[in-house]
Amino acid sequence: MSVQASAWRASSRVAVLGLAVLIAGAISLSLGASGLGPLDLWRTLTGAADPATETILLRLRLPRAVLAALVGGALGLSGCTFQALLRNPLAEPYVLGISGGAAVGAVCVFVSGLAVTVPWTLSLGAFLGAVGAMALVLAIASRASPGGMDTRVLILSGVIAGAFFNAIILLVLSLADLQSFRSAIFWMMGNLSAADWEAAAVLAVFLVPASVVVLSLARAFDLLSRGEEVAYYLGASVQRVKLTAYLAASLMVAASVAAVGVIGFVGLIVPHAVRLAWGNDHRLLLPASFLAGSAFLLLADTVARVVVAPAELPTGVVTAVVGVPFFVVLLMRGGRR
Amino acid sequence: MREVSVSVTPGSLLAVVGPNGAGKTTLLRLLSGSLVPREGEIRLDDRVLGELGDRERARALAVVPQSESSPFPVTVREMVGMGRYAHLGSWESVGSRDRAVVDEALERCAVAALAARQLDELSGGERQRARIARALAQEAPVLLLDEPTAGLDLRYRMELFHLLQELRADGLALLVVTHDLNLAARFADRLLLLDRGRERAGGAPRDVLSRETLEDVYEWSLRLVPHPGPGSDAGAPQTVPLRRDAP
Repeated sequence: MSVQASAWRASSRVAVLGLAVLIAGAISLSLGASGLGPLDLWRTLTGAADPATETILLRLRLPRAVLAALVGGALGLSGCTFQALLRNPLAEPYVLGISGGAAVGAVCVFVSGLAVTVPWTLSLGAFLGAVGAMALVLAIASRASPGGMDTRVLILSGVIAGAFFNAIILLVLSLADLQSFRSAIFWMMGNLSAADWEAAAVLAVFLVPASVVVLSLARAFDLLSRGEEVAYYLGASVQRVKLTAYLAASLMVAASVAAVGVIGFVGLIVPHAVRLAWGNDHRLLLPASFLAGSAFLLLADTVARVVVAPAELPTGVVTAVVGVPFFVVLLMRGGRR
Repeated sequence: MREVSVSVTPGSLLAVVGPNGAGKTTLLRLLSGSLVPREGEIRLDDRVLGELGDRERARALAVVPQSESSPFPVTVREMVGMGRYAHLGSWESVGSRDRAVVDEALERCAVAALAARQLDELSGGERQRARIARALAQEAPVLLLDEPTAGLDLRYRMELFHLLQELRADGLALLVVTHDLNLAARFADRLLLLDRGRERAGGAPRDVLSRETLEDVYEWSLRLVPHPGPGSDAGAPQTVPLRRDAP
């Protein structure tokens, strides 16, 4: 196998996943409670659809599909980044307490009643909670490891902070009225029912630059996975890479949690599925995790909208119910190549 | 660690020896820049090591640390390719020269046939050669190795020291930390004997390896015998530790 051939193969794999995202998007747009199908999608694209159809597709389904693709990508990419940063296959986007911090913010907004009266406060509260958690965990980790950020201390700080946030959430919820309680629990399961263009745009503003930063670290992640000492000898600026990766990945998780709540499993199983299939070269693994996450969440959200229509399942429940068996099959079919 | 002066020159092999805890690995970390000396200086040609950027340093100095592990498996070629990191920008793709350097490093270390294999499928000796190949792919004129023969059997140990000898002939400046006094005496140009963080003796193997010094440093009775040959290293001093019941 020549290196040139493998570079070509990597690009073609990314292209295949890009196509998969488009197909998943088309499926997502073609299915739903209103009974509009692929033909209506085609008519809308060619400008031949009636206004009602156009509204449903362009104002409801399309922004939701775009948001699903962005969130799925953010979770896949950040999950992969945390695994590389922490050198831990069990790492996922929420391992360092960001989801807990976001949930504290969100729960406070629900309980205070602001969620009902001022529309964007929920996202803002969740985002502030997430960013607060990210800063807190970093502060603890850098205080506790003076010679630079020790990732073992970082993971411990994150887990401890997460446990603390959970306690706060339970405390606040135990004092909440039933309606706030229900809304908060539903939010924590993650769902995209509130999707609109604004939410997608806000997420993209954070996600695009953070993704570019993370992708620029691909080679450094390869080195880091061999251990920090080895990475240093090979020329990586280890402390800078770790800090940059932590901030960029945390920020994309914070923005996606603020948009849709806590959607689990995508950030854990998508990078692993790609690893099992195609190996651990981060120049392929990172973009592939983004695209596979996008396609996966698009399909999972479609299932969430369709199976009990006109009601909806929380998307986070579907990702686990569909994702876990899929992953178990991949795992049992055994390693790569 | 104090009062140690060490220099490696192109086309030479220096072996750092000494008992456990003598400071061999610490010395290697100081020389590689991963530890910063409180006093004194590490220089590469006429530049202070600490002033070099990370990539620049990796192009000047390659290190094969004692051991490494990863939760994420890679192929031999992928791993050797990591040696090119310091030569590539973040968005730069691997060029034909990078490929040529990786191919040559794989050949040099006799792992070219294993390039597509998973690293963790390899035997200990093969894996160690793959790690040296990765260091060679850095194209650095100086190579530091921390106990490269640890855990290897007789054949792999000999192969590895022969490889180091070939690299020395290529003009590399080599420093190897090792516990193997006998192989060090047969292959190294110079030895540096460390004891409790200080330099105990340095120079040609015959001068450094004396019974009195070694017995004192290792706190064990021993004899030195000349290597019986045949071979170009016949006569090299070989250390034979004695049993407790020896008279």
